[in-house]
Amino acid sequence: MKRKVISALLCVALVGTMLVGCGSKKADESSNGGDAAGEAATGGEKIEIVSKGFQHQYWQAVKKGADQKAEELGVTINFVGPNSESDIADQVQMFQSAINQKPAALGLAALDTDALLDAISQAQSANIPIIGFDSGVPGAPDGAILANASTDNYAAGEMAAEEGYKAALGDRIKNADGPVRVGVMAQDATAESIINRGLGFIDKLGELVEADGKTISITGNEKYVGDSGIEDKKSEEGDVIVEVVVPSQVTNELSAVDCQTLLNKKDIICIYGSNQHSGEAMITGNANLDKFGEGDDKVIGIAFDSGENIKKAVKDKVFIGAITQAPVSMGETLVDLCVKAARGESVSDVDTGCQWYTSDNMDSEEISQNLYD
Amino acid sequence: MEKNVKKGNAFTNNPVVKMIGTQKIVVLGVIILLAIFFSILSPAFRQYSTVVSIFDYSYYVSLMAIGVTFALITGGVDLSIGTGTIAAGLVGGYVVGHFDLPVAVGMLVCIAFGLFLGVFNAISVAVLGLPPFIATLGSMMVARGLGSIMAGASSITWPQAGTPNGWFRSIFKINVGGNMIPIGFIIVIAIVIIMSIILNKTRPGRYIIAIGSNKEATRLSGINVVKWHSLAYLISGFFTGLAAIAYAATFQAVVPGTGAGLELDAIAGAIIGGTSMTGGAGTVGGTLLGVFVMSLLKTGLPFIGLQANWQQIITGIVLLIAVFVDILKNTKK
Amino acid sequence: MGEVILTMKGIDKSFPGVHALDHVELEVKKGEVHALMGENGAGKSTLMKVLTGIYKKDEGTITYEGKEVEFTNPKEAQEAGVMIVHQELNMLSHLTVAQNIFIGREKMSGKIINDSQMNKAARELFDKLNIDIDPTEQMGNLTVGKQQMCEIAKAISHESKVIVFDEPTAALTESEIEELFKIIRDLREKQLGIVYISHRMDEIKVITNRVTVMRDGGYVGTIDTETSTKEDIINMMVGRVIYEDPKTASNVPSGAPVVLEVKDLNAGKMVKNVSFKLHKGEILGFSGLMGAGRTETARAIFGADPIDSGEIFINGKKVNIKSPSDAVQNGIGYLSEDRKRFGIAVEKTVAENSTMASLDHFMKGIFIDKKKEADVAKKYVEQLKTKTPSVEQLVVNLSGGNQQKVVIAKWLVRDCEILIFDEPTRGIDVGAKSEIYHLMNELVKMGKSIIMISSEMTEILRMSDRVVVMCEGRKTGEMSIEEASQETIMHAATRREG
Repeated sequence: MKRKVISALLCVALVGTMLVGCGSKKADESSNGGDAAGEAATGGEKIEIVSKGFQHQYWQAVKKGADQKAEELGVTINFVGPNSESDIADQVQMFQSAINQKPAALGLAALDTDALLDAISQAQSANIPIIGFDSGVPGAPDGAILANASTDNYAAGEMAAEEGYKAALGDRIKNADGPVRVGVMAQDATAESIINRGLGFIDKLGELVEADGKTISITGNEKYVGDSGIEDKKSEEGDVIVEVVVPSQVTNELSAVDCQTLLNKKDIICIYGSNQHSGEAMITGNANLDKFGEGDDKVIGIAFDSGENIKKAVKDKVFIGAITQAPVSMGETLVDLCVKAARGESVSDVDTGCQWYTSDNMDSEEISQNLYD
Repeated sequence: MEKNVKKGNAFTNNPVVKMIGTQKIVVLGVIILLAIFFSILSPAFRQYSTVVSIFDYSYYVSLMAIGVTFALITGGVDLSIGTGTIAAGLVGGYVVGHFDLPVAVGMLVCIAFGLFLGVFNAISVAVLGLPPFIATLGSMMVARGLGSIMAGASSITWPQAGTPNGWFRSIFKINVGGNMIPIGFIIVIAIVIIMSIILNKTRPGRYIIAIGSNKEATRLSGINVVKWHSLAYLISGFFTGLAAIAYAATFQAVVPGTGAGLELDAIAGAIIGGTSMTGGAGTVGGTLLGVFVMSLLKTGLPFIGLQANWQQIITGIVLLIAVFVDILKNTKK
Repeated sequence: MGEVILTMKGIDKSFPGVHALDHVELEVKKGEVHALMGENGAGKSTLMKVLTGIYKKDEGTITYEGKEVEFTNPKEAQEAGVMIVHQELNMLSHLTVAQNIFIGREKMSGKIINDSQMNKAARELFDKLNIDIDPTEQMGNLTVGKQQMCEIAKAISHESKVIVFDEPTAALTESEIEELFKIIRDLREKQLGIVYISHRMDEIKVITNRVTVMRDGGYVGTIDTETSTKEDIINMMVGRVIYEDPKTASNVPSGAPVVLEVKDLNAGKMVKNVSFKLHKGEILGFSGLMGAGRTETARAIFGADPIDSGEIFINGKKVNIKSPSDAVQNGIGYLSEDRKRFGIAVEKTVAENSTMASLDHFMKGIFIDKKKEADVAKKYVEQLKTKTPSVEQLVVNLSGGNQQKVVIAKWLVRDCEILIFDEPTRGIDVGAKSEIYHLMNELVKMGKSIIMISSEMTEILRMSDRVVVMCEGRKTGEMSIEEASQETIMHAATRREG
């Protein structure tokens, strides 16, 4: 009996909430439509930002930029993100409650666009503009995302290949007397940003190698092999063999073992780790082997992003260099775009850029502001 | 049927086999077979550095598993050891980094945090009588959040080798003329011996087994079951702290929000090593061997070029077989 | 009998809503075996828990060795020399026998437990008691009887002055009971005070000197065993006369059809070439000593254990039973000897248990029709006179006899024609016992047929229309109730065949 009463009450409460929800939505619409200019003048808009992560230093740097810009523009922001980049359901929930806050604009870096489609269309029908950042919202319906503040990850990957090739990799390939192997360590084969960084690197490398009159083939993770521009996908017969490894689970241990496996191959000359996780795993994996470094008997290490360990590895020339994004400027750009969109101004994509850093230039003002511990 | 009635056989009645335990011998055999198998298939696996790495990545799981063996023997479980290890590593590293304290203080903080978790679990399981699975599932989540908050929600890097505070990285591995000596292995063996004696030859251990065997009977024997039941979770917590130190010494960064799932590796190791999920039975030595099976699979399978997801499938099957053996053993009685 | 060692006077104890003990008395002398009797729920266990400090008494005094005492926990009582051998075995199956005996007072060398010294001490103890058990064996590997012996040895090793035996023979075989009685007599000789709780009337007569009877938490009286009869004691316990005489003639008409026929059944080691017939409306008693293979036969017929060879016919038709669900389909219901493990879901309600074997009939779409379930459960509660506040009561809160009735209801709801009662009154008090007997008689009148496995000779002789006797997995006797007597059955039960 008791249970029945409770469930009846719950039903009433649920219906009640739905009715109230509908009512207030109408109220919002009318205020949005009628008085947009007035709002712009007063400022103080509320912006909800849902990122792909929160704990990592990278996201903390984005948050720092966003906070700075918010203060400058006099708006309030709420920056949230799931514990880890595999918590897709958590992110959907966060995004849902962000919409329920009825913010003036939403910032979103999607973990899984499909899982967010419902919520995105809800935001659209509530006339809340969405700005993508970092990896953005790949594959979102046309017009759903007004603009993106992001690193062009493909271009960043290309930069890693180009700079690495220029610095040492090119000479090693040209002078090799047998086939050589280049390892690509990727955290996963699902996130667009990670995939593009990998593909950018692989495709550019292929271009450079072929321009020097050598052949190249690719092996390893099927996703990368399939999507890459390298044509020889089956044999391991190129002068340069690209091998892509992706761990089954994102743990330090598994990635470190992957790195060791690569380092133990006789023909290995270079390993590229496409994010901070992979970079750190390269350091751990190298701990017992001591194979990374400069010189012809060593393996060339190229990393991505920063963090205390990777910075130290670059500084000590264990890695010849690394790519850094500009997370602080990404955060700033994101808030800027959000505010503009909320105030009805037109917005378009902004590439927040990336930089190649080595032990020589990493202390310069231009670079160091984007390096974090 | 009739033939099985004869008790034991030449193998199980052998005094050496009896002393070490049939299961442990079987697991040891599995380890040797795996090692031979991987060595044949992969030349890189045969290298000394690979052996060192297998040891490296096994220390923290071993320590977690030794601790959780005690909780398992009481018939309970401690799910908080995974996120607890990460949280302790975060808090300890944060203290060192932000207050510029000696790394030894950070290590003490790790152990203190582990013990704190242990006290928390002991109160909920032994004193308040909550089901261990639920209680430690709760503290697992608490630890995950608490570690992140206390460390300021960013990943933590412990001092690097070569820096003044980096000496702790050589607790488990020293570099002698370019050769890595995995002394951590000796430390772990020493801990296993000490904990085996505590479990089998002292009152606390005896009472922990008794509780797992029949808690009510133990209580009626006039034994303070709350005290000894609590102790099992305190031991688990203490080893969570030790595992955090091993983790920090091995890996580059401790990332908040991670760690869920590590406890399952440790528990799987204990089960493979012959600890019973229903309590009462289990050995520390067996646990160490079980962890080694897990470590070998984790480290070895990538070396023979097996696709990442196959690693998980094979590890899962090995675990299922171990649990099945456990059930077979119980039904025989 | 010597001087008084323990006196409990005016012991009063209330729990919220229950007056569990109402000014109860108990006096134990040195060198006596004092029986404490009463139906389940009469307060015997509560009284013993008050004695050993598990419960705190509200009123009254306990005088032990001339001094007033109040133990606050079992350990204190143990140290003073008052020890209980519990009904539920308190063994730690993963530890060795010696480790069990010395649990809580291990022999130490410094901080390290000295197991070899404990083994030696245990061996000496066993030698003294004439028990043949290896102290280094794992407790879990022993038979229930041997485990019980270890419990007793443990109690004795405490140098106790008063030992309470709580239904010690429930799990023992005849020969083990003899061993136990020898030990008890020996202890009596050594001037220990012994409290003996049991439901088995014949044992009381054999082993005890005096009997104290309790009823509904109150003290009824104390009498000398020698000068009183069984009926005297039973009357004191239940306050009414119970019919305990054996049946003299079968109630089954001679032409009754055979509902179940088993031919040359073999299953495992414990069932060898067993054949018998069960007639409609018959109670077929299965007698024999512990380990004779009766339960194993029942389990094989019920499909719980695999059959190696043999045939089973139901109403003349050959059936192939491979699992309990096949058996239930064929109208066979099995009431296990171990209710808690196999018979009943103690954490479920009376209604849920009643319909458990026939849920198909209580479905409304994909949902269980709770109302129909409750109605049917109510019907059987009334019919079987199950004492429960409602059908929504959890079974764990019912007494043993009423739990048994719920199991019976389960098979009646399923409409089983053949019911196998395995030790139907084990652990049930005298009052509830006679109700179960009455119920079985009602069931056969309704046309059901019953196989009753029982280790109590009086039960076999009182209830059966025909008796099958087994020994070491074989049928060693089959007799009509007219032929059956303690002697004929015992003779068959010990007839070993090569």
